[in-house]
Amino acid sequence: MTPALATIFTSVDFWTFVGVVAGIFTIFALGLQVQFGFTGLLNFGHVAFMAVAAYTMAILIVKVGWPMWASALAAIGMAMAFGVLIGLPTVRLRADFLAIATIAFGEIIRLIALNESDLTGGPQGTINLRGAGTAASFNAEWLSFQNTVRDWLEKGFGDVSRDQTMLVIIWTVVVLLILLLQFLVHSPWGRVLRSIREDEDASSALGKNVFAYKLQALALGAALGAVAGLFFAFQFSFFSPQDFDPLTTFFAWIIVILGGTGRNWAVPVGAIIFGVIFAGTRFADIPFFDTADQAFLRLILIGLILIGLMAFRPQGLLGKREEMVLG
Amino acid sequence: MSELFQLLANGLVTGSIISIGAIGLTLVYGILRIVNFAHGEYLTFGAFMAFLVNVTWGGHMVAAITFAIALTALLGVTLEFVLWRPMRNKGAGIISLFITSIGLALVVRHLIFMEWGGQPRRYDVNVFQVYDLGIFRLSLSQVVAIAVAFAAILLVGIMLARTRLGKSMRALSDNPELASVAGIDIDRVIVYTWILGAGLAGLGGVLQGLVQTSFNPNMGFTLLLPIFAAVILGGIGSAYGALAAGVLLGLVMELSTWDALAGGIRAVYKPAVAFALLILILLVRPQGVLGKARTV
Amino acid sequence: MGSDGREDEKILDVRTVVKHFGGVAALDEATLDVRRSSITALIGPNGAGKTTLFHVVTGFYRPERGEIRFEGERVDGKPPHAIAKRGLVRTFQVTKALSRMSVLENMMLAAPNQPGEHLWRLVLTPRAVRRREREVEEKAWALLELVQLDKLGRDYAGTLSGGQRKLLEFARALMSDPAMVMLDEPMAGVNPALGLQLLERMQQLRAERRLTFLLIEHDMEVVMTVSERVIVMNEGRVIADGTPDEVRGDPRVIDAYLGVHAGEERAAVAEATEGTR
Repeated sequence: MTPALATIFTSVDFWTFVGVVAGIFTIFALGLQVQFGFTGLLNFGHVAFMAVAAYTMAILIVKVGWPMWASALAAIGMAMAFGVLIGLPTVRLRADFLAIATIAFGEIIRLIALNESDLTGGPQGTINLRGAGTAASFNAEWLSFQNTVRDWLEKGFGDVSRDQTMLVIIWTVVVLLILLLQFLVHSPWGRVLRSIREDEDASSALGKNVFAYKLQALALGAALGAVAGLFFAFQFSFFSPQDFDPLTTFFAWIIVILGGTGRNWAVPVGAIIFGVIFAGTRFADIPFFDTADQAFLRLILIGLILIGLMAFRPQGLLGKREEMVLG
Repeated sequence: MSELFQLLANGLVTGSIISIGAIGLTLVYGILRIVNFAHGEYLTFGAFMAFLVNVTWGGHMVAAITFAIALTALLGVTLEFVLWRPMRNKGAGIISLFITSIGLALVVRHLIFMEWGGQPRRYDVNVFQVYDLGIFRLSLSQVVAIAVAFAAILLVGIMLARTRLGKSMRALSDNPELASVAGIDIDRVIVYTWILGAGLAGLGGVLQGLVQTSFNPNMGFTLLLPIFAAVILGGIGSAYGALAAGVLLGLVMELSTWDALAGGIRAVYKPAVAFALLILILLVRPQGVLGKARTV
Repeated sequence: MGSDGREDEKILDVRTVVKHFGGVAALDEATLDVRRSSITALIGPNGAGKTTLFHVVTGFYRPERGEIRFEGERVDGKPPHAIAKRGLVRTFQVTKALSRMSVLENMMLAAPNQPGEHLWRLVLTPRAVRRREREVEEKAWALLELVQLDKLGRDYAGTLSGGQRKLLEFARALMSDPAMVMLDEPMAGVNPALGLQLLERMQQLRAERRLTFLLIEHDMEVVMTVSERVIVMNEGRVIADGTPDEVRGDPRVIDAYLGVHAGEERAAVAEATEGTR
């Protein structure tokens, strides 16, 4: 390990950053967990929900002048509506076809974000929301909320950085969400979803309206993706269409698979592992490869991880063989 | 009016390329029952193999096309032995195989990125040669693309209909259990399917590289979605359906930009048009236009 | 049996139903009816269309022509969950136990009217949800005891043997207090002693709760002992319909089982292969 790496891996700031990113990805992946882990829906366009929510919120704050909390709620609602919209024509498709259809939806959202500059700021991203010449920002209210939390934390813990505050906020939400999902998965409602994952026809023959439940799963998953998108937007204060490409969804899939798709508490573990690999390789200097190539190498690694998981350990790192959803 | 014919001509070009990609994908699906998400990358691979011959080594385009088809077919077969067959033997399910194909797509695409970078590439062909047929004009590249595409489709069609291999492929695609009972060597047919499917993909990639002003390693993925739309529209597993749907989609995609249609759609949204059409059809007829009905 | 005439009432009425698979008629103007509170057997050689009939009646396939009435109302073209909700439940030839769920969960899933299955009610009326869960669980255990699967209640359904899964499906079908139960080969793989108990239970349910049973069976002993009526299908059609004794002696029936018909083979292939898509 080079000295540079050593300092990075022992830096508090690095781990805080990993923690924040892992938290965002956890929430994102939990949405996928509802759709795939619970219900068996192969949604590969999940990033679209992140994008829809982030953009809706930013547009409402910057262009329409709404307050933050109202915009955030509307953003989540919009993402849920999109979930249902995507589901209507696609949930009756076989798993892999559903996957490609959802990828296509995601791409269309990205195309719109890229090309409807008047609405979304175009390729320059949210900084352009008020047109060229004025840097737009949607973050003001969030920052003041974050500062309130920070002051409150500092009363008990001394100096707390902005990122650390975010870390606390996000992971509080993560814990609450996981508790919620635990409750849901063991509820009668969750039981129906799981039966759909096992065998739709059996579920149907037992009087369950499979179509309706699938749409509900998509909507709930979309809501979680939306929350992740909002945290993403607030953390980085700025985003552009490039932030929402299919790779993000693939990352979430790796996280969900790594954790073993049946288990809610495994998702944050998967996210942290993934976060370390991802952030760590960002800072590592692999000899013989230049920066551009290192980015490609990372993606090749991700591809190999996916293949490897499917070939050798489809139940993930923490899953049980009997509960294997894949394979 | 001449714009209409021009758009139709362009649509024919786009459509024939989509068809080639779709036939390859649907054949593989029909026999292996997997959706190969890496299929788009086979197109990209073909395009860059041709680039290697045509630009890097200075060869003639014909040699480049041949090389591209051969190398992509080789890639397809190699992956069958190295990846798909072992996983099938392990009993990997549809979802596992699909996710594997996504991983594979990432690997192939970024290997290409690593080797050639992201900058736009062009073939060494005469881009100024244009055929003016009065109501529309086609560049040399476009003419070549249509001609080669249709020749390839014709050959594939004859192969499927007349040769023993073709009949075996169709039998296997329609009815795997019966086919093995009838003494068809399934493993062999699968290899030939990959040769055909991957080879066609490679060809499609080169043709697309020819008709676009430039291409980069993302080109395959960009085409994958309309190709996928054609596969579903045409009825999953039906090669003739993929052909018809591909051409139809190409025409619709180009026509959608026509001024006369309320200003027309902006060119960047063409893939969205293909997709929207697919969604509409799926709402009405979930099995596709020529596909088989869902059964228990 | 009784003389109030209700025993003659048709609970299921299938008229001239047609269903093709790739050119072969799996159901060729099939017409039959099932009387309320009866135990009726549906027999016939492989490929006769029995399971296809089940699929069509319960909404998994759409008939091309014909009408299907359950308790007097049209159900052809309705989705499976709607038909199940009306009180017509079925089991499957290849059992559909929900493998990665416990035996108990399989049973509890099948109960109707569960407020907890609806998100709003789950959140807004938790007490009602809990109450119904308790009721459902009690009933589930009771039915599991009936089929002697109660010791395996907490195990994954995927660990059950074939015969045990048949029993699970049988018990599961009874959870919703249906009016009619369609059983596809309910005895396959079940040990004879237990099978006999199941038949007794069926007769008991028929007598006490006026349940109607329609079973596809290949075991002629079962058919003869328990059913009061036998419907025979061949090549997508009903070729005989009567008491077990009447059917046993019917030359057409003997012919269907012994004869090798090209049509039967085609239908068998069609049905077998369509079923695997």
